Amino acid sequence: MKSSSPDSSRTIRFALVGRPNAGKTSLLLAMTGASGLKPVNFAGSSVERVESQVIRDDVEFQGIDLPGIVSLDPLTRDEELAIAALRGDEVESLDVIVAVLDATRLSVELPFLQRLIVLGRPLVVALNKGDLAAHQGRVVDGVALQSALGVTVVETNGRLDTGADGLFEAIAAAEDSPPPPGMELDADALTAEVTRGKGVQTLWTDRLDALLLHRVWGLPLLALLLYGVFQAIFLGAEPAMGWIESGQGFLSEAVAGWLEPGALQSLLIDGLINGVGSVVIFLPQIILMMAFIVLLEGSGYLARAAFLLDRPLSRVGLSGRSFMPLMGSFGCAVPGILATRIMEGERDRLATIAVAPLMSCSARFPVYVVLIGAFFPASMAGGVLFGLYALGVVVAALVAWALRRTVLKGASSVLLMELPPYQLPPIRHVLGAVLSAVKAFVVMAGTVIFLTSLVIWALSYYPRPMDIHSEHAGLRSAVMAGSGDEASKAAELSRLDAAEESAYFENSYLARFGKAVQPVFAPAGFDWRITVGILAAFPARELIIPTLGTLYSLGEVDPGAHDLATLEEGAAAPDGLRAKLRAARDSDGNRVFDPVVALALMVFFALCSQCVATLGAMRRETASWRWPAFAFTYMTALAWIAAVAVHQVGRWMGWGA
Amino acid sequence: MSDDITTLNGLEDGSNAVVHSVIGEDAIARRIADLGFWKGTSVTLVRRAPAGDPLEVKLRGFRLALRSEEALRVRVVPLSEEAG
Repeated sequence: MKSSSPDSSRTIRFALVGRPNAGKTSLLLAMTGASGLKPVNFAGSSVERVESQVIRDDVEFQGIDLPGIVSLDPLTRDEELAIAALRGDEVESLDVIVAVLDATRLSVELPFLQRLIVLGRPLVVALNKGDLAAHQGRVVDGVALQSALGVTVVETNGRLDTGADGLFEAIAAAEDSPPPPGMELDADALTAEVTRGKGVQTLWTDRLDALLLHRVWGLPLLALLLYGVFQAIFLGAEPAMGWIESGQGFLSEAVAGWLEPGALQSLLIDGLINGVGSVVIFLPQIILMMAFIVLLEGSGYLARAAFLLDRPLSRVGLSGRSFMPLMGSFGCAVPGILATRIMEGERDRLATIAVAPLMSCSARFPVYVVLIGAFFPASMAGGVLFGLYALGVVVAALVAWALRRTVLKGASSVLLMELPPYQLPPIRHVLGAVLSAVKAFVVMAGTVIFLTSLVIWALSYYPRPMDIHSEHAGLRSAVMAGSGDEASKAAELSRLDAAEESAYFENSYLARFGKAVQPVFAPAGFDWRITVGILAAFPARELIIPTLGTLYSLGEVDPGAHDLATLEEGAAAPDGLRAKLRAARDSDGNRVFDPVVALALMVFFALCSQCVATLGAMRRETASWRWPAFAFTYMTALAWIAAVAVHQVGRWMGWGA
Repeated sequence: MSDDITTLNGLEDGSNAVVHSVIGEDAIARRIADLGFWKGTSVTLVRRAPAGDPLEVKLRGFRLALRSEEALRVRVVPLSEEAG
């Protein structure tokens, strides 16, 4: 039992309240450290906010970071939740309001502060970004502001981690004091009174905007930037992917050296190393993707992109505000869908949610990379990849357009969006976002993918019927008893072993199931193994990779795989799964994959709704199963139609035959 | 200084004006005012997006993007070049 001082039970709950971009999250990070930050649900809804706690001088401080608000009249879902939290039941348990005011725009912050004071809670002012204001030629005097307002003012600076100590003391003191009285104030006069300096006229943000928001150059620069980002993700991840692949090969060989061939060896190599490894290999790309998205958002550029694209996006019934959720959905649709909360109009928001999963997310990327690498020449790779991303965007535009003219009919909403000054995002924020993405991915690889790999392996390894064993055992005895030199006997025996494995595989539970469902996908040119991959990928689309990895790894003993052409192809690109897919033959010895089948499969993945997490996020954000049900239906139907169309047109044109 | 009242949408790129009033009493009008557009506020129409819409304005130390539909609701008194 630990002894406790009389004060140790004291808990102070405070909320950071401020306009968007006032620096609330950075301030909370500076106060409590990133380790304490955790997303928490809002009362009465399952929308997340950030909460953090820290113990100082025997007092437990619990901080809540509310979404940015401009006034107490909400226009967006984010604001509605923040204001409900300030006004509603939670106010009972909220001890102190910390009003985070941005010193660079004090005159608009003061009327907002007045409204917070009217709420009648103990209140402290955190005067933030004073260094930035000084840099812009305006020095705000916190002491003068404090005496004019009669409210404790602490100068803080989230970026430089200063002001946190004073703020904790002020919060503790405020909890014991009565709330400040409401007052009349002239925001402009008071701002003039506490500010020294006139401010510089042209800031470097203005110079940068003159280029990046240029009437002619703005859009081409945006396109170039996005192209550069995707290129960097692709090229930057390549070396790390190679290391992971060699590590995977090294492990497989080590296991093969240790263990006798049999169920355990097959489980470890075909099930675990190939299954989990084929997903872990995409970690480098996910890290880069997250880092770029956080950099673009934190730098202030995403708001500019929204500004440039608002008009084209409103043509199809979306808004400039849709850009960030859609851009984020290229990483993962789940945070993308959560990001729609900043949108002003409900119809725009629902349309954005409905089409966000059509953006090719990082889980589709592995499928593209493997299939493009295996079946298209390097000169075409970039074009095919770009085409798949473009397909998602074009279909999203058409679906949004159709929705806004039918079930989501109505006038477009407003756009009232701040363009924050450009800044280099604190490296901690970037690292924090990357780390949490890596954590989520590793947890997923370690649980869902691990278990799926095991199940797929077991279903494809068993039942191993005795009659196949006795049939091959009989053939083996015949070879042993027959005439011929030792070498040709050995070759014949190993051919028989391979044929036996192949026969087991063709009789596995998984093969039977895949063959039963395969007719549905036959018009798209998919064999039963691809069919199994697609079905296994409905919970999470990246599962197709370990599934194919396991299936074609077990099937690779096919005799057709030993011809010279296959060996040469394998030698030219000794990269695990790609070589296996190229070498794959059906029971008649025909190739399973060619460029047309690969393209049909990629198109299917580009459009299909194969992600339980996304459907769950849709359910949460729309508070109804109707939207996820609709998205699942339309996406899966479109995916099937498009895959069949690609295959039929491809065959009709005579490609890949 | 001119006495001609126009709207934010009627300003030339790069020109300055002073807010006169916000038209309407609905939630959007209140929000526009809450963002900082109250009587006497100096605003600059920085630029329009490539498609001509939305507009970027600078006021009270920050930059705001808004569509011409909302800009039409902000009545302003333009400042002449010499005064600006």
